[in-house]
Amino acid sequence: MQANCVVIGGGLSGLAAAIRLARYNDNVLLLEKHSRVGGLNSYYYRNNRLFETGLHAITNYADKAAKHAPLNKLLRQLKISRDEIGFHQQIFSEINFPDVSLLFSNNFALLTEQINENFPKESNNFRRLVADLDQADPFASSSYRSTRAILGTYIDEPRLIDMLLCPVLYYGSSWENDIDFKQFVIMFRSLYQEGLFRPAGTIKNLLDLLVDKLNHYGGTIKLGTGVRDIISKGEKIIGVTLENGERIFCKHLVSTIGLDETKFLLGSPKESRSERRLSFVETIFQVEKGYRSRLPQDRTCIFYSRKRPFTFEQPADIVCYDSGVISLPFNFHDLDGDVDSIEVRTTQLANYRKWQLAAADADRYAALKQAHSDEAWRQVEPIIGPFSDGIMFSDCFTPLTVERYTGKHAGAIYGSPQKISDGNIGYDNLVLAGTDQGFLGIIGSMLSGISMVNRHILSKL
Amino acid sequence: MTRDDIKDLILEIIEDIDDEAEFDDLDPDKPLRDQLDLDSMDFLDIVMELRKRHKLQIPEEDYPQLATLNSCTNYLEPLLKEA
Repeated sequence: MQANCVVIGGGLSGLAAAIRLARYNDNVLLLEKHSRVGGLNSYYYRNNRLFETGLHAITNYADKAAKHAPLNKLLRQLKISRDEIGFHQQIFSEINFPDVSLLFSNNFALLTEQINENFPKESNNFRRLVADLDQADPFASSSYRSTRAILGTYIDEPRLIDMLLCPVLYYGSSWENDIDFKQFVIMFRSLYQEGLFRPAGTIKNLLDLLVDKLNHYGGTIKLGTGVRDIISKGEKIIGVTLENGERIFCKHLVSTIGLDETKFLLGSPKESRSERRLSFVETIFQVEKGYRSRLPQDRTCIFYSRKRPFTFEQPADIVCYDSGVISLPFNFHDLDGDVDSIEVRTTQLANYRKWQLAAADADRYAALKQAHSDEAWRQVEPIIGPFSDGIMFSDCFTPLTVERYTGKHAGAIYGSPQKISDGNIGYDNLVLAGTDQGFLGIIGSMLSGISMVNRHILSKL
Repeated sequence: MTRDDIKDLILEIIEDIDDEAEFDDLDPDKPLRDQLDLDSMDFLDIVMELRKRHKLQIPEEDYPQLATLNSCTNYLEPLLKEA
């Protein structure tokens, strides 16, 4: 089979890349290993109910007037109108640490006020930091720089550094206890200065919209179609071999499956993955709707650390409960209140190897999952109040679940600590897009797909 | 295509990219990007639409010649003569 352009991976970056390609090219083919698109941000059904896999909230909220904001740029590039998405903004999110909490919302002034109030000595320092961040160019090429070290040159209070880092690391760091400063600049803007929202409906509505767009432009999606290897000749890609042995020849190849995952398809041994990866466990509690009034009414996400200093590293235990994220997806503005149940979701750091060892015995693995779910609600109840009596159903995604459904090695949702910002991994007609290109979150990964295709393929046609 | 047809074509493409674009005070000798607040991604789409609609191959090094409405028209006039 012959295609003009092949995109590997039907996550949000792959869908966005394929839409751009299909808008201006014939014969664009998107290959997705799983039976459903979405990658990390997909959905599944249990008890006749749809559950989202990854989505807590989408960063980069922007009003219509902010024409050059990432969100609006991306909608223009994909020819999607704002009405097709529907926006529900967050109410408040909270950074909850021992003895001190900071609130933030889609109005950046709130975070500044909160810092003035709780850390009055840091007011000027924070203002200086924000002024410099506003001038920083996160797209200029530079090697890794420690955000902790840079923040330390502005802010004296280590607690405040930890608190500013906590949401940023949980929503996008593939490094332990720190993040590359370029990525911090992007995340600071997308998380604190722009803010959080949910699209109307569920992630399925957004995915269906993207699939419809791709079909509208004549692109093709093949689900349940894994790639066994990428065929290259010197520095040129000739095509791919599918897991069923079929060969597809192509002129351009975009890979959104990750850096090491792509290199593996090019023939690198698996052992070449040297760096430690950060894995998480995500737990969903479906709770009786009567509990809604007992849980926080105005908190969208709570990023917590129950210990000081805040640590963000691969835990020695199977899961570490010292810090994490609590997502209350019913707390967004203007959501339809008529629901049969609500969800509480938690995210914590996990140890991939330990889960892997346990998985050798199916019963032990199932028991561990249950034990984890029980521990997760016990750990977060002191923060949001009791809800365990109302749990109707719970499920958790271990690093193994993530690896199995998304192909992300070690279930590391933020990918490799090594990022390839120009998308070039040494081949003439292969572009890397998505998480390991370095843009983060749903909006970031879609912009990655768009900008890599624009830069390396469309502008060269 | 006449010069006026080409101008209409460019404006139509821009309107398709940004339905709120205002052309009333457009100075044909000043950069489109500044006046219409277009970014490089929008600009690429102008080029891509010309390629899609009229099979025009515009190499990257010629992009600067598309800066203003008049320079666009000058550049495209010989290419779209038969269109």
